[in-house]
Amino acid sequence: MQTQLIIILSVTVALTFVVALVSIGLVIHKAVNAQEIRRRQRLYTHYSEKFAEVLLVDLPPIPSNARTSAIFKQYENLLVPIKKELESLPPVEARLHREMLRGVLVDFARDLSGDAIDRLIYCFYSLDFVSEQIELLKHKHWWVRAQAARDLGLLRTRRALAALTAALEDPHQDVRDQARQAIVSLAGVESLRTILRLTRRMSMWTALELSISVQQYGEETVPYLVEGLDLPDQSVVLFCIEMLAVIGFVSAVDPLRRLAKTYPSITVRAKAIEAMGRLGDQRSEDLLVSFIRDPNPALRLKALEALGRIGAPAALPALIPRLEHGTLQEQIAAARAIAATGPAGMDELHRVAAAGTKRQRAVCLHVIEERG
Amino acid sequence: MFEWIINSYLLFVVLYFVGVNVSYTVMMTLSLREILKYMHHNSFSDYRQTVQSELAVGVSVLAPAYNEEATVVESVRSLLKLNYGLFEVIVINDGSKDRTLQRLIDEFGLFQSNQIYAPEIPSKRVRGIYRSRVASYKNLVIVDKENGGKADALNVGINVAQYELVCVIDADSILEEDALQKVVKPFLEDHRVVAAGGIVRIANGCEVKNGRVVRVGLSTHLLPLFQVVEYFRAFLSGRMAWLNMNALLIISGAFGLFRRQAVIDVGGYRTDTVGEDMEIVVRMHRTFRERRRPYRVIFVPDPVCWTEAPESIRILQRQRNRWHRGLMDVMRFHGKMLFNPRYGAIGTTSMPYYLLIELLGPVFEFIGYIATIMLFVRGTANLDMAILFFVVSLLYGVMFSVGGVLLEEISFRRYPNPKHLVLLLFIGVLENFGYRQLTAWWRIRAFFDYARGQRGWGKMQRKGFRAGA
Repeated sequence: MQTQLIIILSVTVALTFVVALVSIGLVIHKAVNAQEIRRRQRLYTHYSEKFAEVLLVDLPPIPSNARTSAIFKQYENLLVPIKKELESLPPVEARLHREMLRGVLVDFARDLSGDAIDRLIYCFYSLDFVSEQIELLKHKHWWVRAQAARDLGLLRTRRALAALTAALEDPHQDVRDQARQAIVSLAGVESLRTILRLTRRMSMWTALELSISVQQYGEETVPYLVEGLDLPDQSVVLFCIEMLAVIGFVSAVDPLRRLAKTYPSITVRAKAIEAMGRLGDQRSEDLLVSFIRDPNPALRLKALEALGRIGAPAALPALIPRLEHGTLQEQIAAARAIAATGPAGMDELHRVAAAGTKRQRAVCLHVIEERG
Repeated sequence: MFEWIINSYLLFVVLYFVGVNVSYTVMMTLSLREILKYMHHNSFSDYRQTVQSELAVGVSVLAPAYNEEATVVESVRSLLKLNYGLFEVIVINDGSKDRTLQRLIDEFGLFQSNQIYAPEIPSKRVRGIYRSRVASYKNLVIVDKENGGKADALNVGINVAQYELVCVIDADSILEEDALQKVVKPFLEDHRVVAAGGIVRIANGCEVKNGRVVRVGLSTHLLPLFQVVEYFRAFLSGRMAWLNMNALLIISGAFGLFRRQAVIDVGGYRTDTVGEDMEIVVRMHRTFRERRRPYRVIFVPDPVCWTEAPESIRILQRQRNRWHRGLMDVMRFHGKMLFNPRYGAIGTTSMPYYLLIELLGPVFEFIGYIATIMLFVRGTANLDMAILFFVVSLLYGVMFSVGGVLLEEISFRRYPNPKHLVLLLFIGVLENFGYRQLTAWWRIRAFFDYARGQRGWGKMQRKGFRAGA
């Protein structure tokens, strides 16, 4: 018993000693780190200023028929002082400077376009960051690979396209996500076909991130998204429906009608109905009205909500029974759809508010108040 | 015979002590791994752009308020400034006896609305729903209801909420501007996530301006400092470890996000317990496992909710007493899950941990003290062994307290000044000499209060956030 306790005491003392050492180490590290952070900030500011000069300086005009290398030569001249500074540093110091430089380039790339981004991309190539980052796509730590993919995308380095496409098959989700974003930035809208084909079980977060890139291309993406509606992965189909609704292109109506009628999954059919409402095309009205009487409550509700967005006077006779008999959610959605049909619909709501049952009255008053 | 019983008990205490410390060590290791994983995973997230997207899910923020006339307007203003695309703020006035409702009506230009909702969870009567005429407050809803307690107020809020996710907070807490963005992310990444909690930090000593913490600092009083270290241990060490095992049992009532439908599916908050925040999470585990429905309960260590910690012994004692009675309720309601492999890691690991270590730990500790004293009285105690054991237990306590501080320092580093770190490390040592024993005693007293049938919250007084440090 005594021996056991002595062993426990020894282990405890040893562990406490380790914790104490780590604590002291962290306190010292925190103090030193504060200086290191200040140093990095100074370096960051230094290179930000240098690159601001590189981006802002006016270059002599070049004839339109001049070779690309002439433009590159001009950019290279702008980089000479920075390169000289890097060459003059000892290797350890140079590594830190390069790290800060890369940070500045990546941060600048987020907000730039046009000639400025061309200069930045050239700098990224010329300072040999591209090969370095492509190599990092094979790093053993997934977060290093993900960061490399992100940086290559932000700096629009087309040379990395093959490596990034390979990264779409990376075992880690975050790397695949970053590679996907990077490819859309690099290769443009045409890359969407490959991306959608290679994507499996897309999470909503991934969909949101991808949607930001996709929306930049607007209507150009419609053919690829319509094509995506036929892909086997349901999450990709849902993404395509959502994006078609956001982009709001009417040529999407027919494929959406087809999905709403025939797709095996209720989730996808409901999403297609919702998208039709958001597109607001009158060609959807008949189909939506037919869904009001669908035996599936999710489809009924989505159809009522979609009609509320479109505002279809012809649907009024079909909507009134739903206001009178339905779940509370259906009644509210029906009342909103009735209100959206125009003055006749509002009259109908006032009539039910005066003469309907307690719940019908409450629903109508609620929607009348909403309409202001 | 008596000696044998006492010695057997002391042997049990030693074994128990070894078990507890092994558990803590494992938990701390798992937490460190989980925190690093979280930090890497989220270093690429552009929350700002993503959650402003029109595709992002909406969030209804529920803030129950009872007699909060002094702070309610500032709290609501702070909530309305949250940085998130689609959200509404629902303040539930739980039958306040002061001018809480009137202050809200005056300040936000409210009118009584005809809004209807489906009362999917039973609750006390709702007297009225108020909305604002001012365009910039369109996402503000005030519900006035009869007094029924925090759980009942939350049930009403869930009924009225129009979005898929509901964020439950205390009306007097401060959410950081980006807290919603960060806590929503797991729901978007994994459709199985039904609940997620954020970290709660102590605001005493911080500088608060316009309902925002603008400078992080530490209190000059000892009690809040002890609680800072305690919260590190509870959130960064405890919950992160349970997250690793998908066996998290608590989401703090001060800041949690739930899938609305999941809360409705389990019947909403129970109104007959003071531990409603833990109870609902345990019930979710129980219900979804029994229904074989895939689900996950998550802890997100980054989104911060700042709260004011009690500065007086009396109020802190009430709070700890209430927490312990809440834990007793949970064990009583869901005793079936204990040691039951049908409930996976919940039944075999986290419920037994909460029973044996969190709930009964103080009892074992105190009986141990009494047994040792009895052996001394009879002159049969081994003094060397007793001292040795006491020293070992203190050293382990110090190690875990300091470990919590170190986890914070390795990960989020919210306290920028090296002096803060030194002070927190010192507090991590100091809390083991008196404070820890005191909280253990309060928790033992909770057993007596529970046996006497005390079920109330006890009066909680708050000083309110100070504008200065």
